Amino acid sequence: MTSITRFLIAGIGFFGVAALCVGCGPATPDDGADPQVATQGSIEVTAKLVDITGKFPPNDLYDYAYVMKYEVLKTHRGEATGTLLVGQYNPLKKRAVAADERSGEIGGNVTRFRVGDIHRLALEPNIDEYCMAGIINKYAEEDKPSDAPLYWAVWTNRVIQ
Amino acid sequence: MDATRTTKMASFRDMFFSAKPTLLFPSLEGLGVGWGMGARNNPPPAPPGRGVPGSRERFPKWFLAAIFLVIIAIEGPVQALLDLRSEGRPQVLDFLSQAPTQDNLRTFESALEDNAWSAEAVRPAMQYFRYALGEDLGAKALAGKDDWLFYRAGAEFLMQPWPHAVEGGGTDDPLGAIVDFRDTLAQRDIALLVVIAPGKASIYPDKLSARIAETDERIYGHARAFLDRLAEASVPTVDLFARYATAREGHEAPLYLERDTHWSPEGLRLAAKAVAERVIKEGWIPNGTLEYAIQPVEVSRVGDVLRMADSPYITARFAPESIACAQVTDPATGQPYADEAEAPPVLVLGDSFLRIYQSDAPGSAGFIAHLARELKQPVASIVSDGGASTLVRQELARHPELLHGKKLVIWEFVERDLRFGTEGWQKVKLGD
Repeated sequence: MTSITRFLIAGIGFFGVAALCVGCGPATPDDGADPQVATQGSIEVTAKLVDITGKFPPNDLYDYAYVMKYEVLKTHRGEATGTLLVGQYNPLKKRAVAADERSGEIGGNVTRFRVGDIHRLALEPNIDEYCMAGIINKYAEEDKPSDAPLYWAVWTNRVIQ
Repeated sequence: MDATRTTKMASFRDMFFSAKPTLLFPSLEGLGVGWGMGARNNPPPAPPGRGVPGSRERFPKWFLAAIFLVIIAIEGPVQALLDLRSEGRPQVLDFLSQAPTQDNLRTFESALEDNAWSAEAVRPAMQYFRYALGEDLGAKALAGKDDWLFYRAGAEFLMQPWPHAVEGGGTDDPLGAIVDFRDTLAQRDIALLVVIAPGKASIYPDKLSARIAETDERIYGHARAFLDRLAEASVPTVDLFARYATAREGHEAPLYLERDTHWSPEGLRLAAKAVAERVIKEGWIPNGTLEYAIQPVEVSRVGDVLRMADSPYITARFAPESIACAQVTDPATGQPYADEAEAPPVLVLGDSFLRIYQSDAPGSAGFIAHLARELKQPVASIVSDGGASTLVRQELARHPELLHGKKLVIWEFVERDLRFGTEGWQKVKLGD
């Protein structure tokens, strides 16, 4: 093994270990509050993403909203408690760039959706009034869609505890 | 393809396939770095043992290997740092938080690819490079003749076998879902009319490949056979395939947009006329009396197929299509046509074929407005992009009040959704 090979392997190892150390380290707490989430929508909650049923379909031709299940941890504005079904528009995209002519103004700083994450959400209660795209609701049979309200996520910020 | 573009592409290909290495990597030559092929053709004298360090053969291998390893080395840490800044933890740690099942691993791999900073940075340029070299528009789009572009899934639906699903085949059984919906509506004394919107490749196969004839019923054989099965099941339909084939023989204006999956204003006008003729002939609803007016409006549109190529460099090569639309207006108020949710006897369900020109620019110039004009009365509608197979009926289930007073539901969906419909073909229960 030449000295250059050893140098390269050591460099790769150093970067890898450094990244893992930095990645595993404690992140700065963030309650997700900002002027947008505090003013958009009629409801504002901090909620834990407890379930994403199925996989997000590709968004190559059609953008869609995907309904996910949240558990409310704290209500900041409006009325919402317990389990909420929330439609996130075009969930394969970062919230900051997901908005288009069919979604209206949406946003936030969440870049991807993972079960277990906590989000600060600005919501509207009736998704059909806000979302012009298809709405994929995997809970349709389970939760009787005509009874369970589907919320529309207007703003979605990450919360780091 | 115009002469300028052909010349540009030829010169682009020449540069990469015919140019000498010195033209592409002059700086490497200047550094004494040999080109791999050239080095093999003119090998330096082979020294005994490990060779001479810094020879013309060994240096480029080291150089390329070093570049390769550096790229690999920086990708992960940079991505981890970016993830840390945006999400609080690196995405790669998701691997540790899930069971290593096949589904989870595939999802994890796909998410890594989608969110990689390097892929985001390089993808548009690479996509353009592939297009310039071989007119490859990527996984989602196909380049046809005369700058016509096609949605790959639409072409694949025509070319691949489709066994029409097995009856009772769960969400893969469109016939079962349609018959179930028809029967559900019949219990409320509401008729159902099914309209399959032909895919662009079915009507313009000759624009996809020079080897295909202009009109050939075998091209849309899947849809043709499915229409026959609907007829056997006594489900009323409108055959737009035959209507469009006749229109093409008459050399009428193009029925589809060149770089979009959807129909042109002429295509939707023909469709609306054919549907209205069937509705009036069957006497499902009372005749209307409103005489809507038409207002010419021109819009420009960047095709959705072009956007699928996912490269601004490719998009910039094509000018937006200029489209002459006919906006439907209320003669009493002069305002653009607007649906009425509850009063009218017709509810229209469908996908983006109903959205284009209707809620998209210029507005009130789409299928729905033109159908209302032909029927001389407003209609109600639910439109779900890509969701006509199941999602649009789920939305109807959330708003069953839209069925009050209805005599007819017109259900439009695009041909390829017979196989590729989002969420398949579920049977949907309608509330009271």
